[in-house]
Amino acid sequence: MKTATFRSEVKEQLERIGQADIIVGIPSYNSAHTIGHVVRAVQGGLAKYFPDLKAVIVNSDGGSSDGTMEVVHNSSIDDFNAILLHHRVEPIAKIALPYSGIPGKGSAFRTIFEIAEILDAKACAVVDSDLRSITPEWIELLIKPVLLGGYDYVSPLYHRHKFDGTITNSIVYPLTRALYGKRVRQPIGGDFGFSGAMAQYYLTKDVWESDVARFGIDIWMTTTAIANGFKVTQSFLGAKIHDAKDPGTDLSNMLYQVVSSTFALMENYADNWKSVHGSDPVPAFGFEYTVGLEQINVNTARMLTTFREGLRNLREIWLEILGAGDFGEVERLGTQDDAEFHFPIGLWTRVIYDYALAFHNKKLPVEHLIKSMTPLYVGKTASFILQARDMGQSEAEAEIEKLCMEFENNKDYLVSNWK
Amino acid sequence: MEDFLDLILDPLTTLFSKFKVFFPNFLAMLVILLVGILLAYIIKHSLVKFLTAIKFDSWSDRMGFTKLMRKGDMWGKPSTILGAIVFWLLIIVTLMSSMNALQIPVIDNLVHEFFSYIPRLFSAAIILIVGYVLSGFISRGVLIAAANSGFHYAKLLADAIQTLLIVLILAMVMEQLQIAPSIVLAAFTIIFGGIVIALAIAFGVGGIDAARRIIEKESLDRQKDETPDEIDHI
Amino acid sequence: MTDFYQTGVITTLHQLGKPSLERLESELHGFAKVRPIALVLPALYSEFEGPAMPGIIKELAKVSYLNEIVLALDNASESDFQRVREMMAPIPTEVRIIHNKGKRITEVYETLARNGLDVGIQGKGRSAWLSYGYVLARGRSDVIALHDCDIVTYNRELLARLCYPIANPNLDYVFCKGFYSRVTNKMNGRVTRLLVTPLVRSLQQLVGPHKFLAFLDSFRYPLSGEFCMTTDLARVNRIPWDWGLEVGSLAEVHRNYSPRRVCQVDIATTYEHKHQILSPDDASKGLMKMAVDICKSVFRTLASEGVIFSDGLFKSLLVTYLRQAEDTLMKYEADAMINGLDFDRHEEAKAVETFTRSIAMAAQVFEENPMSTPLIPNWNRVIAAIPDIFEMLEAAVEEDSK
Repeated sequence: MKTATFRSEVKEQLERIGQADIIVGIPSYNSAHTIGHVVRAVQGGLAKYFPDLKAVIVNSDGGSSDGTMEVVHNSSIDDFNAILLHHRVEPIAKIALPYSGIPGKGSAFRTIFEIAEILDAKACAVVDSDLRSITPEWIELLIKPVLLGGYDYVSPLYHRHKFDGTITNSIVYPLTRALYGKRVRQPIGGDFGFSGAMAQYYLTKDVWESDVARFGIDIWMTTTAIANGFKVTQSFLGAKIHDAKDPGTDLSNMLYQVVSSTFALMENYADNWKSVHGSDPVPAFGFEYTVGLEQINVNTARMLTTFREGLRNLREIWLEILGAGDFGEVERLGTQDDAEFHFPIGLWTRVIYDYALAFHNKKLPVEHLIKSMTPLYVGKTASFILQARDMGQSEAEAEIEKLCMEFENNKDYLVSNWK
Repeated sequence: MEDFLDLILDPLTTLFSKFKVFFPNFLAMLVILLVGILLAYIIKHSLVKFLTAIKFDSWSDRMGFTKLMRKGDMWGKPSTILGAIVFWLLIIVTLMSSMNALQIPVIDNLVHEFFSYIPRLFSAAIILIVGYVLSGFISRGVLIAAANSGFHYAKLLADAIQTLLIVLILAMVMEQLQIAPSIVLAAFTIIFGGIVIALAIAFGVGGIDAARRIIEKESLDRQKDETPDEIDHI
Repeated sequence: MTDFYQTGVITTLHQLGKPSLERLESELHGFAKVRPIALVLPALYSEFEGPAMPGIIKELAKVSYLNEIVLALDNASESDFQRVREMMAPIPTEVRIIHNKGKRITEVYETLARNGLDVGIQGKGRSAWLSYGYVLARGRSDVIALHDCDIVTYNRELLARLCYPIANPNLDYVFCKGFYSRVTNKMNGRVTRLLVTPLVRSLQQLVGPHKFLAFLDSFRYPLSGEFCMTTDLARVNRIPWDWGLEVGSLAEVHRNYSPRRVCQVDIATTYEHKHQILSPDDASKGLMKMAVDICKSVFRTLASEGVIFSDGLFKSLLVTYLRQAEDTLMKYEADAMINGLDFDRHEEAKAVETFTRSIAMAAQVFEENPMSTPLIPNWNRVIAAIPDIFEMLEAAVEEDSK
């Protein structure tokens, strides 16, 4: 069933365009003050790197009330000469439309996929609308591997602060890597490139009424690509700076969204991941560079308090999920001083696997289950921050690599207990 | 002489005629009883089989019924125990209907009352079960949310909420069963109101210093922890 | 247990602080390369249906240093056996199940009987013995650990601590017994508290200092079902098939090895399992049967070491024991008071009465037939009689597991 593309004015617009080589999708919701920059960067990128190809920018909006769509219409690069050597023949078409369906990034993407299908696009890219650090090069890096390298899916690589992306670093990346055997470093990056065939494949999946439509789209796209044997690569995009997320969404909610999506995919692809051993590197494009680490403000003492309060109050739930042995280990952590606090990676691996198994066995309602993990996650994060405080970027990365190996080495436990 | 014989025979004939009326009823009672017991047995057996097939035991493990049973020192499997409950209910029903067959007015009345009570019993049981599951669910949600925000008394809060909910549910059940409805209502009002007043008094008078300390400490902690973490978790 | 007092002639390894299981297990991983560890689990099928075994399996699924697990399964039908196999599947270690009621293992028992080897009746002792035989037959492990399968508070730390003293090549222990306090809202472990300890101390009082009694008295929990040993020890040790299993095994260890090479280790802070019912009137059941078997085992061991048991000694023993037990009772009452535990003085006194009767009964049986022994011959002796028994046993288990 087609959704937004059914509406007559959209249909007309699409018919006028007829066919396109490249689609760049920008999902948005109330991002009027940032989306202008993103649109300009995309325009610049398309004009600079793909001057001879027909490209369309699609803004799939969730019903913004701050005039996001108007900003999209009015944004254009005033002086192309500043970034271009020669002028582009035809202007880049822009479509800004509100998507329909369940509110969420997934529904926005669905509309983009549909337009890609109708316009028979060869390559697509999606970028977040709140990006501050996007440059025209991002478009090249996300599209070129598809057009020239024959890849179906391009996942981003960012330069990030060693303490950032902790849910990715301590849960999603190690778990996805151990499960599906591909070292995709940012499986929930948010900015992706993919082929037209990939977009069509996504549309064949019947997930648009589920949580995927709401919040689980990033990990769903990555996992679907890897698990179904599409050719996957990565592109180094540089720094990712985006507007601070809504401060109202608390950590446990964030954790719930990301982790429940990841666990839910484990159910669908159990037959695929059970037979995978070890992992293979995924090729990466782009010029990797590092920049200095700015000071970041974290209060590990408060995080450890959260962990200890969780231990005090959630002990029955944890004992049930982790079993006596590992709960004893967690309890031991509760007695450690702030300075010597250390969450062993083996224990953390088993915590995640045990939660995955509890999810699989429906031990608790999903939201309760995953939210009860929050203090453990906070404890693990605090431990990593304490440990990596004086480390350089590469040393911190090496720690994450160690964690990944632990996930891979202990995978047998997950496989043999998954029934 | 004949009079005397009549005097003796009359009661006997009445007795006999009464017995003649009664005996088929008695037989009917026996038959109903036998068939009922047999049926109850069969239903129990197939129920337990059915419950095992749909994995009722692991479901009740998850829903906390098993824990509840263990607390009440029942160590059987939940499916067997449910089977036993159904069995005995059926036996009672059988007993009642078999007695009905005797057609003795007093018993008739009793049986009638019993059967008119059954719907209430049933809805009370449903309220109890659904209420228990719901109260567990709500209190666990509160526990997790409170613990995640680092609240020191999360467990206490969750337990208090569960207790209050259970009191509420029990009151609903009693009311449904029509066990001294006015007393239940009064008792419930008193208990609930009492708790609220007790809390108000405790905080307002007795615990004014403690309350101030807690509030001051909280706001102090807040101030101290004002600077938010700058980590981007995703 | 928070003190660090060394009890008696054997080494006591305490739980001091809150040691990391992670570290323990990673060390065991290293040790296991040099000294592979087998875990023997004597289990009843009913334990798989209760809460204990599923919990144990869940914990064992996380243990990766073991070389093999031998499960001796009793009271199980063919379909039960299949179900147990399925239930054990999540465990990463290779699991072999000895199906005691299966036709192949029954045949093994019959072969033993045909050759005049009395291996006793079904029970934990016989199961454990056959499991040792199987481990020896395969010859793949150097260390055997054993624990009960009815522990509802099972934590894999228990196993790690139990294996550690024997598996660590830097420590020269051959036998290690687990100990723990059995406390819930009251003190459990009545047989140890009210029978074994007072009995041993009474005997010491009557026969004077004796090496075996001192040895036995050194154990904090002589009846605990958790222990670990080298396979060499398993080869030469005889074990009783009755309730005297624990005490009898200790007697054999004492006979074959120096106490310097024996230790006990604190394995758990909480421990809960199913309790035996007190059966004051029936000597063939429950606690009473257990008590009688234990007393017989103690008497027999002492007699074999040259202690002379006369009628008078037994009479004095009853009186001395009663005095000792009453004193002990008072100690535990105080202990319960300070810790705020329930203490049913009447129940405890009744237990002492039952135990007194058990001692009398054991004395009578012993006097009537001092030579009768429930000891299963050791494996060296069995191989001498039936050289092919190992192959047969291995083949039986192998076939069963197909």
